[in-house]
Amino acid sequence: MSFLQVTDLTVAYGAIQAVRGVTFSVERGQIVSLIGSNGAGKTTTLRTISGLLRPVAGTVLLDGKPIHALPAHEILGLGVAHSPEGRRLFARMTVEENLRLGAYTRSDEPGILADLDRVYDLFPVLGERRRNKAGLFSGGEQQMLAIGRALMSRPKLLMLDEPSMGLSPIMTQKIFSTVRELRSEGTTVLLVEQNALAALALSDHAYVIDLGRTTLSGTGHELLADPRVQEAYLGEGVAN
Amino acid sequence: MTTIEKPRPAAVPEPTGRLAGLAPHARTLRVLGGVLTVVGTYLPWATFVLNDGPYPEQSTLEFFTVPYGVTGFRLHLLLFGIAAIVLALAAVPAKGRMIRALGVGVIAISVVNGLYIVGEGGGLGAITVADGVAFGAIVALIGGVLLVVGANAGGIEPQPVWNWRLNPWVERALLVVVVVVLLLLVAAVLTSGGQGGSGYAGGVFLSFLAAVGAAIAALSASGLLAWVTALTERHRLYSVALLLAAALLLPLTSAGTEYWMTVAATIGVYAATAIGLNIVVGLAGLLDLGYVAFLGIGAFVAANLSGAAASTIGITLPFPLVMVIAAIIAGIFGAIVGSPTLRVRGDYLAIVTLAFGEIFVRSAQNNIGGLTGGSNAIPNIPPVSLFGTDFNEGVEIGALELPPGFLYYVLIVLIISAVMVVFANLKFSRLGRAWIAIREDEDAARAMGIRTGPIKILAFLIGAMLAGLAGAFYAHKLGTVSYESFRFLESVTLLAAVILGGMGTIPGAVLGASVLFVLPEKLREFSEYRLLLFGIALVLIMRFRPQGIVPDAHRRAELAPETDPAIVAAEEKVAAEAKGEKS
Amino acid sequence: MLSTFLSQVVNGLILGSLIGLIALGYTMVYGIIQLINFAHGEIFMVGSYGGLAMFTYLLPTAIQNQWWFALPLLLIAGAAIAVVVAVLMERFAYRPLRNAPRLAPLITALGVSVALQEAVRVFYPNATAAVPFPKVFVEGTLAIPIGDGIVPIRYTGMLIIVVSLLLAFALNTFVNNSRMGRAMRATSQDRDVARLMGINPDRVIVLTFVLGAALAGVAGILYGADLGLININIGLQNGLFAFTAAVLGGIGNIKGAVAGGLVIGLVKTLGGQYLPGGTPYDYVWIFVVLIAVLVFRPQGFFGETERVRA
Repeated sequence: MSFLQVTDLTVAYGAIQAVRGVTFSVERGQIVSLIGSNGAGKTTTLRTISGLLRPVAGTVLLDGKPIHALPAHEILGLGVAHSPEGRRLFARMTVEENLRLGAYTRSDEPGILADLDRVYDLFPVLGERRRNKAGLFSGGEQQMLAIGRALMSRPKLLMLDEPSMGLSPIMTQKIFSTVRELRSEGTTVLLVEQNALAALALSDHAYVIDLGRTTLSGTGHELLADPRVQEAYLGEGVAN
Repeated sequence: MTTIEKPRPAAVPEPTGRLAGLAPHARTLRVLGGVLTVVGTYLPWATFVLNDGPYPEQSTLEFFTVPYGVTGFRLHLLLFGIAAIVLALAAVPAKGRMIRALGVGVIAISVVNGLYIVGEGGGLGAITVADGVAFGAIVALIGGVLLVVGANAGGIEPQPVWNWRLNPWVERALLVVVVVVLLLLVAAVLTSGGQGGSGYAGGVFLSFLAAVGAAIAALSASGLLAWVTALTERHRLYSVALLLAAALLLPLTSAGTEYWMTVAATIGVYAATAIGLNIVVGLAGLLDLGYVAFLGIGAFVAANLSGAAASTIGITLPFPLVMVIAAIIAGIFGAIVGSPTLRVRGDYLAIVTLAFGEIFVRSAQNNIGGLTGGSNAIPNIPPVSLFGTDFNEGVEIGALELPPGFLYYVLIVLIISAVMVVFANLKFSRLGRAWIAIREDEDAARAMGIRTGPIKILAFLIGAMLAGLAGAFYAHKLGTVSYESFRFLESVTLLAAVILGGMGTIPGAVLGASVLFVLPEKLREFSEYRLLLFGIALVLIMRFRPQGIVPDAHRRAELAPETDPAIVAAEEKVAAEAKGEKS
Repeated sequence: MLSTFLSQVVNGLILGSLIGLIALGYTMVYGIIQLINFAHGEIFMVGSYGGLAMFTYLLPTAIQNQWWFALPLLLIAGAAIAVVVAVLMERFAYRPLRNAPRLAPLITALGVSVALQEAVRVFYPNATAAVPFPKVFVEGTLAIPIGDGIVPIRYTGMLIIVVSLLLAFALNTFVNNSRMGRAMRATSQDRDVARLMGINPDRVIVLTFVLGAALAGVAGILYGADLGLININIGLQNGLFAFTAAVLGGIGNIKGAVAGGLVIGLVKTLGGQYLPGGTPYDYVWIFVVLIAVLVFRPQGFFGETERVRA
């Protein structure tokens, strides 16, 4: 049984169907990415898994149990953390407050303190500026904080939406190496990326989403080699 | 740009939700509901006074005494029950929708009558067999519930659209019939149950209102109402003239007494004011919580120029001139109140207008400048007098004797007509489109080159002028002007009238004002609870029908759930028109 | 006269701290769900009547005369009733409209306001006229001689100032330093992301209403105890003042609401004393201030820092 199994997911905003039949699965300990062009429905899929949106049809199973009818704040408790597109930090709160909000559902103070230290170890720049307001940070630092915040709930499944968006190549590399590090620690990662090249290189498995449907799937290397993927997502049309 | 297909709903939608399991039995449920309604009609209601009034006269088992002679709410139930059975069995488009409307009507009638019987007839004891029983109401109520359940179980179809075209003269003749029916209906609703506070006036009125409302809802569900509306649009001027004539003929119907003329004139004042408010709120989307102040300013201006003993100015001017002056002064204040819109938006603007309203009330209460009479008000304002006739007296035209108040009624009908003409012309003018653009998205409107500042102030100015006009009439009709008539609660009531009727539409504002000012008149026995019910009703409207009774075709579904068929249909129509214009 | 001026300053500060206490409810609710909770003033009024009912119908006479016992009981009762009404209001009137366009909840708030006021008028015995409120505190005034006059300070006035400031301080500490306070601020900044943190926005919103209502209930009791008389109109009137205060202090800003309340109190008493028209026009000056602030400085006088809202 897959850790996360999404089947025939259909999601609509009013009369507009943004996702119409997305199917994929994520195995424990893997990095899986969803790639596709703008507006293909990747973000909508993540928002539905984390409970921010309700599907019109289809199922989301976590560990075999359906979660698509649960509210977002309960899904976090099941071990699914979602770092949303555009980072969405609490800009007027300090780094530490942001991280503590990530651990909102936990009550083991010693554990929280330990995890704070772990995040500060992972991203030393956050530790140095833990009393500063998050809104004052650069894009890369904000992305680190967003990932750190998601990690504070000790997720079993970490969902990252466009973590490389707007970052310099060096910063992108840093973020992706962190993701790899997290996998080695046993965290399962579901990654949504427009930077298909970097994402596929990193992924154990990947899916292409087009016009709200999953159209292709394979290991990261298979897809990298697939001419259709190369033409659509890796060719010269891709700026980043 | 990508286009997204919008799947057209099928003719008979798949029933979904909790009632889906009942779908196979939908027809049975509908017929059964109709039958129970008919049965309830012939069961005894109760031996209470309600049955002695104009509505059902008798309390026995009607079937044995007058099987074909049922009247009053029994007749309404009988008709609804039979109609439901026929609809359930016949192949009629949108029958589920119509049956639902009828079912709701049956429920409303049964509840009103049952409650009155129980409430006025000795409490719950009234439901026992020994006392003559209200179980007719209960059986009909069950019938109504079954109708609604059956309708929902079978699925609610979209409202059908008819495109029949007839010979233009036939169409015009048809419109005459429609307008005459409308006139008689208005007169009947207005007078049903008699004057408020007497006997069962409230119950009879509510029961009748429920019947009329359900009948209209069923017609609307059948799509016929939309067809008639399309008809009026094809013969626009003709229809307007017909309606005006009908309004002027109201005094010749059963409503032609001094009492009803006065009620109608009062409604008219608030309807005219509501139309003015509708420009500000409905078209331009600027929430005004102090609007009644402009009615007050108009009234005080007129009072001071009327020659009333309490006015300190000492100038007396003829009424038409007074109206113009009142409108202009109210308009100036409107521009002042509106000027913060240059910087303030949304909720904050609402609060600014509220603050202006409060300043007006406080100042008037303190008799500012000796102009408002303070707590003494300005009493004894003489009636309007033209060509030697005082407007508060009856008139005789040949053999026709018209009641006192008739002239005021005619005057307010003319004022409302003028206000409507102003509103309609504005709505479809360049200015009106600019207002609507501002309402939808102010920044976008500005980006498209609309000078939003002056245009917003203009909305306040024109709205205030219309209220000032109505205020001048109000002062003379009532004879007394006091600051107490222009408090915050009155502003809220006017706003509620606009919202209840449907924002941005003329019939909506008139209908809303009528409902909000007729109901308290009719339901005097509840006058203690009037405002309590009003507050609760406001909450319920926002919850269940925020788009009002008559939703605006050109208004984006700002307040409505996107599924409202009327709005969806209207939007599609607008979109189609827009496409047609472009190509 | 210096003593007249100072007396009015004292009166202004007393009224102002009460208004500030009510303003906290406006400011917090607006901060979280961007709703001008028009009915909040009525919650204050309901708290006042609720406390009075408890005192009149439940408290034995022997206890009624022991202020140190009766006053805390009254405060708790007033707050409790205000909280119950506010929670019901949130649940049944506002929550169904959570995602509706903004006009709808504002009009609903107006409806709730009318309904609450009328419910008290219809169902509370003799509520059509003003009803006496027990003076459950040390009566009398402290007279301070200043120059050639005296400045009287009511003991109840001192109580009001002390209690209001203490509660405002406690609230500020709670919002800034507790876990739930953090959740409140997170919800106000970005409700969706707050949900991703495991925060249940419904619970946070209810908590916000509860806190605001409890403070308004306390204010209702203090108001009654100070004036010895309440009527059903005190909600609308003081609610408007409190809203003005909340705007003045920068809506969403807790310290600002208190400061705004004090300014409003001073405008009313000093305006009534020194501006043309005298006391009958003191209300007018408050509304003039309200309009001026909304037009010229809608973000209030406490800038963007320390705000609860997004």
